[in-house]
Amino acid sequence: MSRVVLVTGATGGVGRGIALACGSAGWTVWIAARRDIEGAAVAAEVTALGGHGRFVHCEASDPTSVREAVAGVIACDGALHGVVANATSGLSPRPGAVGEVSLADLHDHVAVSLRGTYLLAVEAGPHLGATGGALLVLTSEAGFEGKAKLPTYAAVKAAQRGLVRALAREWGPAGVRVNALGPLAATPAMVEAFERDPAMAERVLGRSPMGRLGDAATEIGPVARFLLGPDAAFVTGATVMADGGSCSIS
Amino acid sequence: MTLVIGSDTPAVRELVAALDGELVSVPTGRGDILDAGWSWTGELDAWRTTEADGPRHDAVVVAAWSDEPGDPRPLDETELDTWIARAEVPFARWFAAMGVAAARCADGGAIVAVVEQPAPLDCAGRVAETAIGDAVEALARSLARSEGPRGVRANAVTTPGRLTTPPVVLPPPPLDSFPGTVALEVAGAVRVLLSPDAVGVTATVLAADCGRSAR
Repeated sequence: MSRVVLVTGATGGVGRGIALACGSAGWTVWIAARRDIEGAAVAAEVTALGGHGRFVHCEASDPTSVREAVAGVIACDGALHGVVANATSGLSPRPGAVGEVSLADLHDHVAVSLRGTYLLAVEAGPHLGATGGALLVLTSEAGFEGKAKLPTYAAVKAAQRGLVRALAREWGPAGVRVNALGPLAATPAMVEAFERDPAMAERVLGRSPMGRLGDAATEIGPVARFLLGPDAAFVTGATVMADGGSCSIS
Repeated sequence: MTLVIGSDTPAVRELVAALDGELVSVPTGRGDILDAGWSWTGELDAWRTTEADGPRHDAVVVAAWSDEPGDPRPLDETELDTWIARAEVPFARWFAAMGVAAARCADGGAIVAVVEQPAPLDCAGRVAETAIGDAVEALARSLARSEGPRGVRANAVTTPGRLTTPPVVLPPPPLDSFPGTVALEVAGAVRVLLSPDAVGVTATVLAADCGRSAR
């Protein structure tokens, strides 16, 4: 069955992987992102894979922008079966201990990730209720374990997981599912970080039973597609890790 | 003497008294304007800078609680300003307070974050509070990692006390004393984690919820 889904921050990395995986199933995929040219390119990739790729400009932390993006989807396709809160602050990889990170930087993290998820949920909620749809939120192993040098990223990823747990209880009676996905993917940012800091690569890969990063389109994306689709009709409030077994306490 | 970095509220003062501690008050951090651009963090930033230079303690407790948790409210009915007040302002206050805790904890000391967190069964209507609870747990674990090399332990205690609105979802909590009190259940869990007997315990979350979350 064809479905209509919207993915924020899908111009690259995991978001793009999710979009391509959904597109390969013939779904209509809206790339909701700030970068118009890159977003349109991913939409074209979705179409090339047999789906219907579309782009809508969206600033994840801006209420008006999120509202207009969701309204645009409904105006065009008439329904929304799934939304993916994937957008993350551009400051996510910037290191700094808790006492060193400015509250201005914290604001950016919270606005994009946590407020962005809140806004997307509020705007998409009624439409997901109409289709018995699903909200999927991208979290991280950092949200479970904390990070010495990335505490801000870890905290917002944990907060998103808490949001998922509570919202699943609120939306369950309406038949809307809410889940989280924790990937460990070979994104361009991760590959670049590994090249810059080989010790980091050793640290990250050394703890993984599978000893490698996952492919965003073929190993992470299909898990997201499962959580958005009818095969996961009885899965809600869960955090699923697609990380090759890396996170030890999930 | 235990240093308590927390809100100057009746609930936190009760915790301070139960721990025989000294309170360093976290500013409310909101002012009259809950703008989306966080202009209200100026006061909080200045407070953080000043307090981080204070004397160090072996035992530091953080309880950056809101004045009043407010009634449960579905996310669908939560306006942006309410979301900012219930999620973003507490996030900033906790973040600032945890940074001060790291600065004020002596080498070999212990930090315990005491955060309000509804049990999973009871978290409907508490999306913001549940999110902040999880964020603080992650912050405690991050501090355990960053401060561990100088012998500092960092853990968290969760309490559903002010967030529990009867009737609760069945089955009932294991203990009739649910949701517990600040003076007895919460302070007791904090003392356990501050104790030298917990010398090997760090990056842990202890739910002082009378067994409600079963973890």
